[in-house]
Amino acid sequence: MSGLLLMAPALLLLLAVFVWPLLDYAWLSLQAQSVFTGLEQVPVGTLNWQRLLADGRFWQDAWQTLRFAVVSVALELVAGLAIALLLHQRWRGRGVARSLALLPWALPTTVMALGWRWIFNDPYGPINGLLQLLGLATVPFLAAPELAWLATVVADVWKTTPFVALLLLAGLQMIPHDLYEAFALEGGTPWQGLWRITVPLLRPYIFIVLLFRLAQALGVFDLIAVLTGGGPASSTESLAVYAYLNAMRFLDFGYSATVMLGMFLLLLAGAAALLLWRRHTEVRA
Amino acid sequence: MTNTSDPATATAKEHTTATSLRLEGLCRRIGGRPILDGITLEVAAGECLALLGPSGCGKSTVLRVIAGLDPCDGGRIVLDGRDITEQKPARRRVAMVFQSYALYPHLSVERNLSLGMELRGVAPEQRERELAAVLELLQLSALRRRRPAELSGGQRQRVALARALLRKPQLMLLDEPMSNLDAQLREELRPQLRAILCGGRAPAIYVTHDQQEAMGIADRIAVLEDGRLQQCGTPQELYHHPANLFVAGFIGRPQINLLPRADGTVVGIRPEHLKAVSSGGLPVRVLNREWHGASQLLLLESEQGPLRWTCDGNQALGDGLRLDWERRHEHRFQQASGERC
Repeated sequence: MSGLLLMAPALLLLLAVFVWPLLDYAWLSLQAQSVFTGLEQVPVGTLNWQRLLADGRFWQDAWQTLRFAVVSVALELVAGLAIALLLHQRWRGRGVARSLALLPWALPTTVMALGWRWIFNDPYGPINGLLQLLGLATVPFLAAPELAWLATVVADVWKTTPFVALLLLAGLQMIPHDLYEAFALEGGTPWQGLWRITVPLLRPYIFIVLLFRLAQALGVFDLIAVLTGGGPASSTESLAVYAYLNAMRFLDFGYSATVMLGMFLLLLAGAAALLLWRRHTEVRA
Repeated sequence: MTNTSDPATATAKEHTTATSLRLEGLCRRIGGRPILDGITLEVAAGECLALLGPSGCGKSTVLRVIAGLDPCDGGRIVLDGRDITEQKPARRRVAMVFQSYALYPHLSVERNLSLGMELRGVAPEQRERELAAVLELLQLSALRRRRPAELSGGQRQRVALARALLRKPQLMLLDEPMSNLDAQLREELRPQLRAILCGGRAPAIYVTHDQQEAMGIADRIAVLEDGRLQQCGTPQELYHHPANLFVAGFIGRPQINLLPRADGTVVGIRPEHLKAVSSGGLPVRVLNREWHGASQLLLLESEQGPLRWTCDGNQALGDGLRLDWERRHEHRFQQASGERC
């Protein structure tokens, strides 16, 4: 009983910020509340959910969100590991480099997204400026669907690689140096050491990186809202952006809540799959 | 790989069966401070040399420089007639047992042991054969699927030793391999380790700060202090003819008695070489007594300073105890330089 009492503050907080909004949304997803109802709530049963299942844009956005998350997190993992390895070596100015490397992570997303929007601007941004200087045609980075998608990935990788590098650097520092010395004496090269020692021993850290980054990337909103607004032609739109548009542009709160919850359920399924995979590999290892 | 028809490789092969190591004026500096200051040593094939010294004397650094893990700032390392001073660690054919054992924590015992062979391109059947043999030799067969975390300290040490043996090294380096084990286990393992190290034809260097261990395992002992070699010889030589005050004080327990003389020399006399006399000698008073059963260690006070005396456990300790020693047991050192006279 006293245990429950001690946990009560945390439980109440969780209830207030997590469970209650979720239940509220679940209830809202069973209502129609839009301009057509005069913004009054009208119970409509599972109508919103039926609409969701048949909503091509929702599934298109789900796919785009997944693609964005998987590709950018994969790139961040590779780049983050490379940077972590570099920052783990002893060299002059490493301390400064370690601080500098964190800067993109410290920048507010909206600010950096605005910066990238300028960098990709056609024709006035620096990249197109450079292309023009070289006598080449400008590229409509944010106006062509495939390029705009790449632009969102580039901006996200630039912003969050430092976070990945930091976590992996912490992992690298936990690996005793004499393992590498023993490995070298046995005839192993540094490259072999990376695959035989570093990566296996970094696994718990890689798992944490994947968990944090995938959860964040699958819920991406601010970067895309500012950089592309989900366009062109909703080709970069994420589920969070779609939910936002439903509520704030289309003033369809009932359906927005349904999109939100649908996204939540998809994430939950993904997280469960990841945990199962980890348990499976742990038992095997 | 080996081409036996080639006379050059044939000779080289002959040498690999019995190698020797020579260090010529080995130096190592860190930030201008000498850590090793001209270490010159020779270890013969099949010989086990203990590097003995207090912590911070540079003994582990000697191993690391020989292995190529630390750079060499002067001097030469000659293994089996070839200068390996500038060679990469992987090419030196040197195996090392680390103080921490440095086992790969994510791999089972058998994977820990076969990884090196895999890297060196040993064929799978031969790998399995050699693995089985070394597991047998070190009584690890039952533990082959365990991870290092599931092993006791002694078992980990044996895995580390097995890994070093599988390297088929031309030189075996051991960095305080027993310091993580409890005293009883250390004593049990000593003869085993000695049998394994001295059975091989490669020389072995064994770093320790424990003189008992050094004497129990090594054929010869090199005493190091402040990065300088103080003396190198058999345990008997070091004990009976210490080259200087440091070696005299470091080798032998209980510690040697050192009595300063007016002429600028110091007389050293081992506690077990003192004996009770009825007249003459040095009058002493008992301050403390450690009874060990067959023997006892007495802490005494005399007009020439404090004395340690190891004597029979039944020695009567009355008033008017007088001690003397035979002149042939006496060691004399210069007070200023510490060198033997």
